[in-house]
Amino acid sequence: MELTWTTSDSELKWPWLVVLLVVLVVALLAVWVRIWWRRHPPGASYVAHATRLVSLPRYRTLVQRRRLLGGFGSVAALVACVGGIVLGGRVQETQVMDRDEASRDIMLCLDASGSTAPWNVDVVQEFRDIVEGLEGERIGLTVWNNAAITKFPLTDDYDFVLDRLSEAELAFAGWSEIYPSEEFDDYTAGTWSEERQYQSSLVADGLVSCVQRFDRLDEDRGRALVLATDGEQRGRGVYNLDEAAEYAAEDGIVIHVVANPGEPDKEGDSDGLQAAADETGGTFAQLGTGGSAEDVVEEINELEAAKIERPPLVQTVDEPRTGQVLAGIGVGLLLLVWTVQGLIALAGRTNRGSTP
Amino acid sequence: MTAHLTRVKARLSIHAHRKARGLLEGEYAAIQVGRGIDFNDLREYVRGDDVKDIDWKASARTRMLLIRRYVAERKHTVVLAVSTGRSMAAMNDAQVSKRDLAVFVSGVMGYLAVRHGDLVALVYGDARRQHVRPPDNGELYLERLLGLVHDAITPEAPPSDLAAVLDYVARAIRRRTILVVVSDETSVSDQLAESLRRLTAQHEVLFLTIGDLDPTITAGAPRRLVDVDAGAEVPGWLRGDVRLQQEYAALVAGEESQLRRRLDQLGVVHERVEDTESAIAAVFRVLERQKHARRR
Repeated sequence: MELTWTTSDSELKWPWLVVLLVVLVVALLAVWVRIWWRRHPPGASYVAHATRLVSLPRYRTLVQRRRLLGGFGSVAALVACVGGIVLGGRVQETQVMDRDEASRDIMLCLDASGSTAPWNVDVVQEFRDIVEGLEGERIGLTVWNNAAITKFPLTDDYDFVLDRLSEAELAFAGWSEIYPSEEFDDYTAGTWSEERQYQSSLVADGLVSCVQRFDRLDEDRGRALVLATDGEQRGRGVYNLDEAAEYAAEDGIVIHVVANPGEPDKEGDSDGLQAAADETGGTFAQLGTGGSAEDVVEEINELEAAKIERPPLVQTVDEPRTGQVLAGIGVGLLLLVWTVQGLIALAGRTNRGSTP
Repeated sequence: MTAHLTRVKARLSIHAHRKARGLLEGEYAAIQVGRGIDFNDLREYVRGDDVKDIDWKASARTRMLLIRRYVAERKHTVVLAVSTGRSMAAMNDAQVSKRDLAVFVSGVMGYLAVRHGDLVALVYGDARRQHVRPPDNGELYLERLLGLVHDAITPEAPPSDLAAVLDYVARAIRRRTILVVVSDETSVSDQLAESLRRLTAQHEVLFLTIGDLDPTITAGAPRRLVDVDAGAEVPGWLRGDVRLQQEYAALVAGEESQLRRRLDQLGVVHERVEDTESAIAAVFRVLERQKHARRR
């Protein structure tokens, strides 16, 4: 799951320490300047007519060099001090994470019976487009007939999801009444139990099975279930549709129904499906014979728009980089100045040695 | 009370032992030729000379009338004119302060005068104030004068102004004297030259200058140096730079030669006092030169 923290605000944790340190530095500077300006340093001897030095060209060179080095050194020391003070004050950033998008689970709950296979192709195709635009949501896929199997659990690994959806699309596209393709058989294997041949398309049981695929129920997440079916049920399952809807509503799962007409000669329980969608606050879409995938997209877009509002996550973290960089630059410059001074002194000494 | 004169005498006796010379007497030339006890030379009698002065024996030997001439027995006055501004409170070299050296060299001059039976006067001062002590004799008086010079030289004193001191001499000293100027001038300003020109007409001027500690050296020098005039410390990064030392040495040498040339032009006998060791030698050198200059 991708977390994006947005930095909103930076402030000091200990502003009083900054004030204290600034006062301290200023006081030390003042004391130093006082000592520096004092007329008579203790233990000093007097010399007269030293102002004659000023007229010497070498004096001017030395003063210029000194001014340059001293200026650089002072600036460096100040920068290092400021860096230290900033570090001492502990700059902190308030980061906010918007969790709205990142906290939804969508379970695709597809009827694997032959009658809905062509519609499933459309649903899966559109779902792939949806997945490409998602960020943070988890997608899962469950197919069912008279038994439910999980094709993939809830995940935000979208590459994987897309692979699986392609696989599903290929499989559902391979269905035919007379001679279903090997991919279709393989894909739906396990959803049809021969022992219970009088039971098929157990909508309510499939729905409950899909509901049970949701995990982390203790977390406050948005949960949606896209149920694609024709509603034609043969035989009876454990749950009926009302009970299944209730079951889903208990866990706060919103059921969006994408109903398709299925086989033309049979009547699906559209009303029951609509009731289930209504009970959980979901939507119901009836795809007519002329119903296209666009309707599915619309439904799912609606689903996407139904984000739930959650308070953003707020965290405060130390942001020591500014202080570190400042202090680093200051200390580096200071070291550079000292090195240059040392080199000059060394050069002067060797010069003296060569010309005694 | 510090015994300034005791130190002078101790030094002088060492010096006298080293060089077997009649140091303490007759070291400076009398100004006037006249009648006195000390015989000077003979000259031919001219009308108007006192008959008592005729040297009869010499006249008989040379068969011409000669009269004796005597060095005037008058007491001379030695005026010590000492610049006591704050620049004199600085160091002369790493060991000796300029103040001690000024007191010492004044003491040597004064002691020679006292031993000679002459009177010693003192004029000292700075840019703001000048003082005079009238001529008097005796070691005790000289000691007091040296104490005055010693106490006047402090780092808190006003700046030095030799021309002001010399102008004060011109105003305060009326009679003809031997004027010993002790200062630390590095050059002769026009104003100073004018003062000296006026004084040389009236006095025998001996000019003694004291040098300065080189502020650029570090070896053997005090760790921290304060410019007594500017009141600011000589920064450490100025000291120990070889090229600066060379340039400073050249500057000082140039200034000194210019000072010598200028004083020569003015006809002022002068000498640089380097340290206490060579101070006595410098004093005698200046006296020697003064003698020759006068006879020329």
